[in-house]
Amino acid sequence: MLVTWRYRLRNGLMEKFDPRARWIFSLAFLFAVTMFWDARFLLFFFIIAFAWYFSSRAKWKETRRGWYLIGFILFMMIVINTIITGGGAGGVVPPGGHLVWPQGGTFPLFDWHFHFGLTWERLWFAICQVLRIGGISAIFLIIPYTMDPRVYGVTFRGLGLPDRFAYSMELAFRYVPTLARDFGTTLDAQRARGYEIERVKGGIVKQIIRIAPLIVPVTMNSILTGEDVTNAMDLRCFGTRPRTWLNKLTFHWQDYALIGFSIFMLVGAVIAIYGFHIGNFWVPYFWLKLAE
Amino acid sequence: MNESPLTIENLTFQYHRRFEPAIENITFSLQAGQVMLIAGSSGCGKTTLMRCINGLIPHTYQGAMSGSICLFGKSVTGMGLADISQTVGTLLQDPERQILGSYVLNEVAFGLESLGIPRDEITPRVEKALDRLGILHLRDRETFGTSGGEKQKIALAGVLAMEPKILLLDEPLASLDPASAQEALQAFRQLADEGIAVMIVEHRVEDVLSIHPDVFMYLDEGKMVYLGDTDGLMDVVDYRRIKLPARVVLERARQDPAPVFVPAAKSHSGEDAELLRFEGVHFQYNENDPEVLKGLNFSVNAGDVIAILGHNGSGKTTMVKHALGLLKPTKGRVLLEGHETRKMTVAQAAHTVGYVFQSPSQMLFAATVHEELSFGPKNLGFPVDTIDKNVNWAIDTVNLKSEMDMPPLALSFGQQKRISIAAILAMRSRILMMDEPTAGQDYWNYQAFMDAILQMPGFDAVIFITHDVDLAVIYANRILLVYSGEIVADGKPQEVLKDEKLLRSCRVLPTSLLKLNMEYLPRTGRFFRAETLAHIQS
Repeated sequence: MLVTWRYRLRNGLMEKFDPRARWIFSLAFLFAVTMFWDARFLLFFFIIAFAWYFSSRAKWKETRRGWYLIGFILFMMIVINTIITGGGAGGVVPPGGHLVWPQGGTFPLFDWHFHFGLTWERLWFAICQVLRIGGISAIFLIIPYTMDPRVYGVTFRGLGLPDRFAYSMELAFRYVPTLARDFGTTLDAQRARGYEIERVKGGIVKQIIRIAPLIVPVTMNSILTGEDVTNAMDLRCFGTRPRTWLNKLTFHWQDYALIGFSIFMLVGAVIAIYGFHIGNFWVPYFWLKLAE
Repeated sequence: MNESPLTIENLTFQYHRRFEPAIENITFSLQAGQVMLIAGSSGCGKTTLMRCINGLIPHTYQGAMSGSICLFGKSVTGMGLADISQTVGTLLQDPERQILGSYVLNEVAFGLESLGIPRDEITPRVEKALDRLGILHLRDRETFGTSGGEKQKIALAGVLAMEPKILLLDEPLASLDPASAQEALQAFRQLADEGIAVMIVEHRVEDVLSIHPDVFMYLDEGKMVYLGDTDGLMDVVDYRRIKLPARVVLERARQDPAPVFVPAAKSHSGEDAELLRFEGVHFQYNENDPEVLKGLNFSVNAGDVIAILGHNGSGKTTMVKHALGLLKPTKGRVLLEGHETRKMTVAQAAHTVGYVFQSPSQMLFAATVHEELSFGPKNLGFPVDTIDKNVNWAIDTVNLKSEMDMPPLALSFGQQKRISIAAILAMRSRILMMDEPTAGQDYWNYQAFMDAILQMPGFDAVIFITHDVDLAVIYANRILLVYSGEIVADGKPQEVLKDEKLLRSCRVLPTSLLKLNMEYLPRTGRFFRAETLAHIQS
């Protein structure tokens, strides 16, 4: 059985908007923010994102797992991909720049000398990444906690997707918490057989083999659930005629205002980038002064 | 002329890549207002027959089909699944596999939405279906949070809202507590009385007999062995294969030798006699949620064979998960061989407690049955020769030695269930805990492996959760009766199960075997299976 995210009505400002308007706003935000690498613009988007996030009244305790995951991904992207290897900054940060350690350095105890090509520009880029990904995360992370599962499907239908695709989106949304539940159950069942995931060691192949007791049942259950869902839908005539959606959505003035703001934000971003050529990667003067 | 809702002639079906037909030359018709009960052991073709009628065969499951199926005189050949579904409603074995909606209203409305019924007509039809089953109060509840019995009714309401003329019910009682099962059966009878043709596939024959089915079909290896009224079935059916009322078994078993059953677990006193102790255990999943366990106090001693009985959602599974440390009490403590589970890993606890989960698909993963059964003992660090010995013993116990080199996931559900039990048996823990060990098993198989498990030396105590009161009557020497997170009775079966009022208040209903045992109790002093009672002088 597919489960849903733990939703409860919080009467936050966010919940006063139609879910279609919220999706339009979220997608417009995503497309707009991904055009910029200028921290001044990114800061503007960051503030909007977190103002939106806090309007939900969701508590830290509810969303912290999501934030831990995002924190881990950000850490991997920024520390490894941007700061250590510099790969993530390619194409945005101009080559050259001001080295943080122009003379290189020496490892204490070992006395090994190293040259590290980290620049102040790359460090600033890392800050931009935090603002950008942090903002996007705040906008999208909050959706499952604040959207009534009863309107998942009809929302996508209302956004113009066909019935089948709209219902598939609903099922896909519910698949994530279902997978988490199945994983937890299988982990318990294998722990009851003396299995300890903490003791999975060895090379990559050995590790994959060692986690098979978790991966195989979870995968098989997902396949079986998929088959069950298909049968259950077939037995109740799904997809044979145009569908009536029981829940009805209606736009109100605040929804039109939000959609208007979303269009303004997206169009403004396009004009800024392509019309005025502003919003590209920029490093403030005070930051470069630090390099001296 | 009124056509029969369902007419089947010479129906044969063979699944793609199988060498034998799953069903062969099935012929019968079902009239409006009739209840038909179909029984047979696992793999006899019951589910295949249902799939042929509801259109999943050939639309979803492929194979070679011959013969004819007609709905109100019209052949289903060439009909789409949607057309069939408007006449034939199907309730699958596990309601969890059928429920799609996240809320009850949406779930019950799903079929009507698919048919494109106008929105203002949907809600009244949903409410009518819910009201018909007495669950209108659940209308705005989340489906996930409802009990097993409620889920069953919600799934049924979803089918009834589409106003089918034929209702197919695939083992509808499998996950229900006795009272919920009885309520469901009454609802099926009422639907038949209202003119729907009802077809029930069920292992729990005795339960279904309480609503007086009009027609009984007995299938064996895909062939129809019997079709007729329920009186005739008592003569043709082997009482060892299908669970019949205890008095019928009593009469028929007199001619056969008495069964020999000697439980292995022996009680003893001494320091190590107490294996497990719950001390004031409270538990809640989240601080805002209601308590699931409310101050449990009991201990498990060597020699105990404990049946845990209680209604759906009473906290039985939550309770046994505490014994292994999978859940930790929010208040109180659980001691396993004197050590607090809060300070142990689950792997350490697994040396003492072997726990068989309810669903085998949650744990089976290996390429062969042998590898699957070796997994637990290997994790516990057993030497290789001990592992082999344990694996062979475990596979013999569940009677699946011939499948040793097969992938467990390729076996039938019933076989997978037995493999999951064998996987825990191979760990040779001191306490064996089983959650619904007989669910989805036919009578013959579950008696065989319960007999084997309880007669094999090796376990100091056995605990099983069950909705099958007869399982408790036959095998347990102690009963824990649980109601809403509290133990309301703890004692010998003859002490706990004699209080019918208490049982009913816990949604547990007395069976014919229990009643028969209560009659014999002054002479026997304890409970026995009907086959044994048949050889006790009256």
